[in-house]
Amino acid sequence: MSIMEIIGSIFIIIGSIFLFLGGLGIYRMPDIYNRLQAGTKATTLGAMSLILGVGFLEPSWMLKALIIIIFIAFSNPISSHALARANYKRKHFPVILSDDKENMDAYREVIEQEDKEVKS
Amino acid sequence: MKKVIVFLLLATLGVYLAITFFNIGFGDPHFVNGVKDFYLKETVENLHVSNTVTSIVVNFRGFDTLGEVTVLFLAVTALGSILYKKRHEVGARSVLFSSSSVVTAGSKLLFPAVILLGVYVFIHGHLSPGGGFQGGVIIATGFLLMLLAYENYSVSHTWLSIVESLAGITFAGVGLLGFMNGGTFLQNFLPTGVLNNLFSGGVIPIIYIAVGFKVAAELTGVIYTVLHEKGVK
Repeated sequence: MSIMEIIGSIFIIIGSIFLFLGGLGIYRMPDIYNRLQAGTKATTLGAMSLILGVGFLEPSWMLKALIIIIFIAFSNPISSHALARANYKRKHFPVILSDDKENMDAYREVIEQEDKEVKS
Repeated sequence: MKKVIVFLLLATLGVYLAITFFNIGFGDPHFVNGVKDFYLKETVENLHVSNTVTSIVVNFRGFDTLGEVTVLFLAVTALGSILYKKRHEVGARSVLFSSSSVVTAGSKLLFPAVILLGVYVFIHGHLSPGGGFQGGVIIATGFLLMLLAYENYSVSHTWLSIVESLAGITFAGVGLLGFMNGGTFLQNFLPTGVLNNLFSGGVIPIIYIAVGFKVAAELTGVIYTVLHEKGVK
């Protein structure tokens, strides 16, 4: 086993662990925002690490792997942001257990203000 | 009396049709182990195409693919004609809320990458998995992204129909060129090149590029028509 194969395998193992944790998070988390952050953060890092590992195992694919990593770095957060925002606009507000409710959910005021403008 | 004559005519026609179809003989064992060995051998040795599925879809059953493309075209035309009146009553589409600046800026960055991926998939249709239909669908999703991100993003129907018609003419024209070079419809007449090269497989890349453009234009038209339907929220 060469050094490149060892590095690639380590990256693939890290990526698999993070993808598994992302899947577990989607299954375990209580509401949509928690599920989105588990599904986005963990799978972004997991997929990037896994593809980088494949690039180390097959050095001729490294350029393609880097392009895919850049694509994931753009597309994954944007789609997750769009999903979360659409959910908030449809008034699926997050459940807040903390006492400091006003500072925890500042975007709600903006939405309610917009609603008043539309109605008037 | 009339009914009897009609019945007799139909019965005669039916009998002759039945005799003709029984003589065709479906399922005759022309090949000992099925046709798979023939396809696998012929694809690599004579056509020099590494993707066997592509060689079957475009070369051995090219006429079938022409039919599939025509079916898609007819479906798109029917959808457009059904939704035509609704679309002209309303003009612009109704949106619940506009996209955020993150989505608009991000889709501007992602759009060229999606188009590039689609073009890559249908140009390499004879080398790797994928092909004209898949690449066309990827390009249409790129346009869907732009239509979702920008409320007033418009696609020119004139250009869509020009691209679609040119692609269809290319497909049928390549098929007719097979006739002119002393073969049958859609027969390969170009040099087949070296296996695993980009320029290999004769007419297969040309046909698949035409199919890719055609599918992309048709599906973009479908998405645009459906998004501008009246009363969709």
